[in-house]
Parts: sequence; C-alpha cells; structure tokens
Amino acid sequence: MIIAASIVLVIMLLGSVATIFAFSWAATHQQFENLDKAAESIFDADEPIGSATDAFLTATHES
Amino acid sequence: MTKFRFIFIGFMLTFLSSWVGLVLMPVWGLGNFKQTADPKTGEMIPPTLSSLEEEGRSVYIANGCIYCHSQQVHPARVRTDIARGWGERRTVARDYMNQEVVQMGTMRTGPDLSNIGVRNPSETWHLLHLYDPQITSKGSNMPPFPFLFETRKKDPENPAPNALNLPPGFGPGDEFEVIPSEEMVALVAYLQSLKLSSYEIPEAPAARIESFAE
Amino acid sequence: MNPEKAPASDPGAIEESRLQRLEIDLAARWPVGIFIGSSLVWLILGSLLAIAASIKLHDPAFLSENPWLTFGRVRPAHLNIVAYGWLSTAGIGIGLWILSRLCRAPIRDNRSLTLAAVLWNMGNAVGSWGILRGDSTAVEWLEYPTYAAPFLLVSFAFVMLESVGLIRRRPPGHIYISQWYIMAAFFWFPCLYFTAHGLLVLAPVQAPAQPPINWWFAHNALGLWFTPIGLGAAYYLIPKIIGRPIHSYYLSVIGFWSLAFFYAWNGMHHLIGGPFPAWLITASVVASIMMFIPVITVAINHHFTMVGHFKKTISSPALRFVVFGAMCYTLASFQGSTMAIRSLNGITHFTHYTIAHAHLGAYGFASMVFFGSIYYIMPRLLEREWPSRFLIRVHFWSCAIGFICYFVFLSWGGILQGLEMNQKETPFLEIVALTMPYLKLRTVSGSLMTLGHLAFFVSFFWMIASHRASIGEPTLFTKRIPDPDPIP
Repeated sequence: MIIAASIVLVIMLLGSVATIFAFSWAATHQQFENLDKAAESIFDADEPIGSATDAFLTATHES
Repeated sequence: MTKFRFIFIGFMLTFLSSWVGLVLMPVWGLGNFKQTADPKTGEMIPPTLSSLEEEGRSVYIANGCIYCHSQQVHPARVRTDIARGWGERRTVARDYMNQEVVQMGTMRTGPDLSNIGVRNPSETWHLLHLYDPQITSKGSNMPPFPFLFETRKKDPENPAPNALNLPPGFGPGDEFEVIPSEEMVALVAYLQSLKLSSYEIPEAPAARIESFAE
Repeated sequence: MNPEKAPASDPGAIEESRLQRLEIDLAARWPVGIFIGSSLVWLILGSLLAIAASIKLHDPAFLSENPWLTFGRVRPAHLNIVAYGWLSTAGIGIGLWILSRLCRAPIRDNRSLTLAAVLWNMGNAVGSWGILRGDSTAVEWLEYPTYAAPFLLVSFAFVMLESVGLIRRRPPGHIYISQWYIMAAFFWFPCLYFTAHGLLVLAPVQAPAQPPINWWFAHNALGLWFTPIGLGAAYYLIPKIIGRPIHSYYLSVIGFWSLAFFYAWNGMHHLIGGPFPAWLITASVVASIMMFIPVITVAINHHFTMVGHFKKTISSPALRFVVFGAMCYTLASFQGSTMAIRSLNGITHFTHYTIAHAHLGAYGFASMVFFGSIYYIMPRLLEREWPSRFLIRVHFWSCAIGFICYFVFLSWGGILQGLEMNQKETPFLEIVALTMPYLKLRTVSGSLMTLGHLAFFVSFFWMIASHRASIGEPTLFTKRIPDPDPIP
C-alpha cells in the first residue's frame, strides 16, 4: 500500500500546484471583479432588486 | 462558453481526484488478494464456499439481511465486538476475498454475523430462529421468514424427518408440519459457513482482549 | 437581452423581460411539469414503504408472510424510491427549470425530455419492482438490479443534452452560482452511477475493494447530486423571492470549489473501524472535517441574505420551505463532520443515529428545499395558483413538526443504542428493547410527515386539474399585469 499512498501523495501535490495556478490565473484575469454584478444577474427589469416575487398578498394571513 | 469550460474542467478534476483516491486506489490495493494455505491445517484460507453455501448467500442478499446485520469485526480498541464474542480477532480485507458481493453492512439492528458459524453452529437453532425469531430470541425485532418454509398437513404415519420441532404457541398447529424449503436449507448452510475471522492470519493475530472503555 | 444593461424604469425593458420570462416558463411547462408530477407519485409510494419499514422494526410480524414485503426488501425499496424516484426526479425538473431561467433560454426539445421522463419513471418502476421481487443487488444505495440501469442512463443522457444546449445558448456574461452547481450535479451523477454500477454490480471488483467504491458512490449521491441541486435552488430562490442579491458572491464561489473537492472525498467515513487501510479512512475523516468550510460559507451567505427578511417566510410558502431546508443543510453537515471523528463515531456507527442523520440531509435539507422550489415553480409554469392555503399549511407544519420529532426521537434512541452496544455486559436483546419506544415514536413522526406529503400531492394534482387561472386574490404572484395579448 506504500506505492498506493505515494501515488496519492503525488496526485495531491500536483493538484495543489494546479489549484494555485488556477487561482493566480483567475486573479490576473479579473475573474474576481464584478462579483456583485454576478449576484445581481438573477434579476431583470421586470423582477428587479427590491421587489419580492412570491407572496400571499395579505401578509397578515397566517399561512 | 469559455468560462464554462474552465468551470467544467475544474469540477471534473476535483471529481477525478476522488475517483483516483477512493475507487482506483482501493481496486489496486484491495482487489488482488489470492488464497493462501493455512500453515496449521494446510487448507486454503479464506475457504471457498460450497455451491449450497453460495446459494445461501444469494438468499441472504435477496432478502436484505445486510440492512440489520453487519459482517465486520472491529478491533478491541474501537468496539466491544471481540468482547461480545463476535470474533477472536478483527476481520481484515483478505477475509472477504471470496465473496462475490461483499455483505459487510453498516447497521447493527441485529448482531454482527462474521463468525455466526462459530458462535451458533446449530442448524436447528437457525431454522427455529429464522422461522420465527421470537422462539429463540424473545423481544427481537427481526422479522420471521415463514415464506422460506413449507407448511403442509402432517401425515401421522409418515411425519417428515426434517419438520421443525416447534414449541407450543408457535406454528400452524399439530395437524401441520413445517418443513424448510431448499432456499432456507441453503441460507442456514451459508450462515454456518460464516467464520470470517476464525483462522489466524499474520495481519491480525488473535487479539488480546484489552480493556475497552473501562 | 442583457439584463444588467436594462434600466429598471424603462417600460419597454420591463415588458421585454416579462415576456422572455413567460416564454421560458411556458416552454418548461410540460417537461419540468412531468418530472415534478412524477416525483410526487414516487414521494407517496416511498412514504408508504417508509411507514411499513418503520412499523416492522417495532412490530416485526407486520406484513411478514409475503416475501415481497419482508423488511429486507421494503427498506431498500423505500430508499431507492425516495432517492431516485422522488428526489432525483424532482431534482431533474427543478434543475432544468433553474438552468432555463438563468440561461435565459427556453427549453427546446420537449419530445426527448418527455421520453426522458417516461424512461426515468420506467427505470424506477422496474428497479423497485425488482427489489421487492428479490433481485436487489444488496449494494447499499445501488439496489436497483441491472435491468433498470439502461432506462436511467438513457433518460439522463437526454437530460444532459438539453442542459448543455441551455448552457450554450446562454447570453454572454456571468454564469450564476446556481448554474455551476446544477451543471456540476448533472455531470457528476452519471459518472458516479456508471462507475459504481459497473464496478460493483456488472463486473464486480474483488470483495475487499467494494465497500470503498460503494460508499464513494453513496455518499456522493448525497454530496454531489442532491446537495448541489438543493444549494443551486436555494441560491436562486432565496434572493429571487425576497428581491435582494445574495450577500457575498465571493463566498459562494469559495463554497462551490471547496464542496467540489472536499465532499467527493468524504465517503470512507462510513467505514471507520472497518478492514481498510488507515490512510483511506483518515483521508475521508479529514475531508469530512474540511466540509466546515463550504458549509459555513453557505450558512453565512443564506443567513446574511435573509437577515431583516425572515418575516417573508410567513407570506411565501416557497421561502419557508427553502429556508427550513437551508438551515437543515447547515445542521446536517455540521453533524456529519462530527460523526466522522473517530471517538464519536465509536458510539454512533451502526446505530439508528446514522439513519436520523441521513434523513436530516436527504429530507430536512433536500426534500424541504425541493418542496419550496416546487411551490415557486408550478404557478409560474401553469399560470395558475395553488388552490388551497390550508393544504399548504398542512403540508408545511406536518412535515416540519413530523420531521423534527423524527430526528430528535431517532437520534436519541440511536445514541442510547450506541452507548449500550459499547458496554460488553449489556445483552443484545436488551439493546433492542431499549430502542423500541424510539422506533415507535419514529413511526408516529413519519406518519405525520406522510400526511404532509398527501396534502401536497392532493394540492398539486388539484392545481393541475383545475382550469381556473386565478382565484380573485393572487396567492403567489405579487402582481398580475393584465395582458392584452396573452401568450397562447
């Protein structure tokens, strides 16, 4: 099982290196800007931010 | 599309890492056991099951015994398995190598069965227990398996030799006899064959029963 | 149309986005509707089997004469039906709808998706019949015999094709986190199922290697199939319903990647103490603890998005169910991480506590989020309202109270069971006896949950059958714009 464990270790190291590369690529290519815009993308002109889209009209009703 | 491609590659790589670690590695490391000869008896261990015992295993599988019974003895420092007499040593990977579909189990609504063939070798006990667990184990929540037996009218001149000897209060009455079906006979043979950690192997010599949670 | 560019006050833009959304919902009506409708049938069947299995554990003679109804078959039939008949089917429908909405592209191929739904249902029917008949594979979470698998795999291929089509037709710009989760789930699931079925059922690897693969599959069915769809739904519906964007999109990206990596490695925590190499178990224990990272990001995000808006759960049933579900996700995951710690695992492994935990995830989280999603989706697909507030109330309260009781009673019984199992002097039958009252309470709780499901089922099909477009006062639309040219 030592061989198996070493293979796993190598894969983990490669994976960590790849992850670090991916993050630095993302950072230099502005993937982390405009994240708030991404959060707003689910809204549109007809269902804009600020309007609830699902409610019993009379909110005092216990439902 | 380009951004999705990267997300796709990313999540398939994370998936692949788990596939390598939890699928490929086990297949490489745990999937190539060979039988060896027991130095004491000369027999191959773990023993190969007879065809009747294999048939019994299919009955065990078809009726979902695994959902209440495990087949793995844990080491003394982890659990009371050995102290309860469920095995003389922990089970190791090699003990399972001859099973086609391993029945290790993850629930102990009922006791562990790894070594039930050592603990309860009596065929009669198993037949009664499986016909109605209340006979041998009052208060058990194991279901009865009457459909693995045949109930027929008893011929007083010619009673069946393998009819169950049911205690009063159980069974269809004196006019009838209850005979184990072929599937039941096979199942009992399988249970009697369960002696997963009854032979010594170098990976796990018979455990010294250490104090557990005392 | 790029929604971010349109000024909110421009009536032309408002009308355009409304029509686009109506077109999407209309195109989804049949394919999503059929997946969701079928899932409810399986929910009822799965609930009835659950009650039967539960009764059998404290009343073992119940329905025991017939081999088709023996506990060892009813229990896996229940599990597979709720996993692949209820949760998966609803998950496919909900996932497709959210993708369609977020890709701003109507679902195109109705025929292949209808065929997919039919095949998916056939796979479940054939598979569950097979289990009851005695053909179960006895591989946990994978009990459908091989003859059911082709139905499921072909069906899912059609679903994936449509999903990829939707992604390709999306407008340029951001890919929202829900799309990441749902697409990932739709790719992960067939890889999981195909690998596991191949290596454990079709051409089984040698027995000692089977449990790791088994529990890699079973845990990932929860973590990489149900969870991402549930999270994708929550990440879309919570902000959408209350009208506020998610608190921190940055956190949600961290949550996605940490979930994708750590969750996939969790599976071996089902095998702690078993005959496996220590490194394998330890890897999963570590990954299970690391799950705190994605779970905390989700909890922070949902909580801070909801803060100040919890009152809206009174007026929106969809939000109520989704928030309940999201909270259970946090609880279930924290609990799961603790259960991977070897010392605690020593008490809880093999006991009813594990079952209660499984239901906290699959029911408290996934099912409740899916209920909420269905409450949101269906009126928009059908342009009709839920017919009865009373039934919605019965559904929510029966399920919420029923499930909380289920979880508390069964967990407590499981802990006692585990503690006693670790006392070597306690005879086994005594342990069985002490679990009895908790098993009975579980049957009662489960029956309450089933009552809620029946209310939901009635509510759903009543809505389908009724042809009324509105009932005076809208229940779920905040406003109905009178439409001079209704879309046919």
